[in-house]
Amino acid sequence: MDLTIWILLASFVVLLMINTPIAIAIAISTILTMLLTMDSVAALTTVAQRMATGLDSFALLAIPFFILSGYIMGQGGIARRLINFAMVLVGRFSGGLAFVNVIACSLFGSISGSAVAATSAIGGFMIPAMNKEGYDKNFNTAVTVTASTTGLLIPPSNILIIFSLASGGVSIAALFMAGYLPGLLVAFGLMLVCAYYAKRNNLPKGLKYSFAEGVHHLVAGLPSLFLIVIVIGGIIAGFFTPTEAGAIAVLYALLLSLGVYKEISFADLPTIFLKSVQTTAIVMLLIGASAAMSWMLSYEFIPQQFTGFILTLSENPLIILLLINIMLLVVGTFMDMTPAVLIFTPILMPVMAEMGVSPLHFGIMMILNLSIGLCTPPVGSVLFVGCSIGKTSISAITKPLLPLYAAMFACLLLVTFVPAISEWLPRFVGLID
Amino acid sequence: MIFLKLVNSIDKILQKLLIALMALLLIDVSWQVMTRFLLENPSSFTEELARFLLIWIGLLGSAHAYRHKMHLGVDVLVNALSDNVSKRIAQLVQLVTIAFALSVLVYGGITLMMLAVHLDQTSPSMQINMGIVYFALPLSGALFTLFAIERLVTGNHKVEYEPDEPSSDEMQKGES
Repeated sequence: MDLTIWILLASFVVLLMINTPIAIAIAISTILTMLLTMDSVAALTTVAQRMATGLDSFALLAIPFFILSGYIMGQGGIARRLINFAMVLVGRFSGGLAFVNVIACSLFGSISGSAVAATSAIGGFMIPAMNKEGYDKNFNTAVTVTASTTGLLIPPSNILIIFSLASGGVSIAALFMAGYLPGLLVAFGLMLVCAYYAKRNNLPKGLKYSFAEGVHHLVAGLPSLFLIVIVIGGIIAGFFTPTEAGAIAVLYALLLSLGVYKEISFADLPTIFLKSVQTTAIVMLLIGASAAMSWMLSYEFIPQQFTGFILTLSENPLIILLLINIMLLVVGTFMDMTPAVLIFTPILMPVMAEMGVSPLHFGIMMILNLSIGLCTPPVGSVLFVGCSIGKTSISAITKPLLPLYAAMFACLLLVTFVPAISEWLPRFVGLID
Repeated sequence: MIFLKLVNSIDKILQKLLIALMALLLIDVSWQVMTRFLLENPSSFTEELARFLLIWIGLLGSAHAYRHKMHLGVDVLVNALSDNVSKRIAQLVQLVTIAFALSVLVYGGITLMMLAVHLDQTSPSMQINMGIVYFALPLSGALFTLFAIERLVTGNHKVEYEPDEPSSDEMQKGES
């Protein structure tokens, strides 16, 4: 590895350590690296151009729309309906509320596209409800935190769109399909841990509804879930692009929240729009800066050098996949998911290609891996929100988190070494060969 | 202080502009879907306008998000240090931000704009000069610089923010 890599690494790590906004750290270390081989005017103009043209993509427009529809749908009423919906399905079992929590977090995470939003909306209801039934509050919080990340794999998912961009155009529709089984697998794994815990601690059964009540609650949840049907159905059937699906999701969410559920009024819209702009802009600055960096990386042949280096470590693809997963787990504990995906996708893609791992399989593996990082200290946005919602501390929930981490890690190994978990569904609907 | 009041009103205007741009983006793409399905005569300018709006929302929104300390960073180390040291480091980061804003966004952006005007680079569908699109770069850079100076002057205190529900700061990082 030559000087360029060391300049890049050293400047980036120093800037990160002093808490520079990650996007700015990416841009500056990119420029410093470029200055080794080109003059300053060319370097600055190139970075400025990449930052603007990096955002010049119709596919990227799906992101602000899914963020916006997530904020509109992210009101308390929808969370409550989804919890009732899940209660009808799994509430009757021993430890029922824990299962309800997992399913409601997955559904809400999928609709809102945000693990943080799922933790606060579902956790805000479920953690106190579980506490009242005599569940341990640290366990309740730990379940909410881990279950909320499944919505990142279950579409519609912004992080999958970001991966599509960072990987140079893997089909968003195929990625969406690829996320379903791994996302459900993680939810199932977490529920297994809950079942074991419920049995050992003799946890009570949840509510059991009469048939009429059950039907009522299932029907009440359908309009929210129909958003997923429109978006995913429309994309898979080829009626519209993911971006158009995003705009339709916003219109549907507005219709539902303003007209049917009456959860929000027109006066709330400017605040919701502004919040969506803020979240969008944070992601866009990262995307712009990463576009500049990935241009520089390929200009300096850094991914190829990295691939050469990795391949000297081992000949065995299984070992290399394991090493890469360990590296990403470490990255995930320190860095949020979006910058991690934007930075490491272009570097790791050539290694994956060398080993015959499809971009689809790699993307799902990476998102699942980094999901674990969202629930671990020291940097874990979902964990922090969960602790404040659950009124507990990180040290207190570590013990109940351990078996849940183990379940997520087991799912990660399965997804890593069984490509079919990611690839079967997109192949089944004819999106890949 | 008049400077701080000025910065505050600039951010207020910026917020209104961003809300309007977002609304326009939604109307624009909805219009595209409608024209494609109902009129079966897809409008040609909507896709291009949407892409340019995203560039503006992304760049100007970033400056606004910077003022409200929403950008993602790694704060583990800084939080572990004493208040005095972490304050100095925060000032250093503000200087780094100003350097980034002035060199990349303002200088690089203006060079790019002039290049687009000089080469008469126009967009294929709406026939507008790309210099207008790239103008978001120096504008964003100027705002970043202004907001970074504000933080240096006020000693990095939390800026006044529109009343919101308490969880809004957590919700901002909603993309995770």
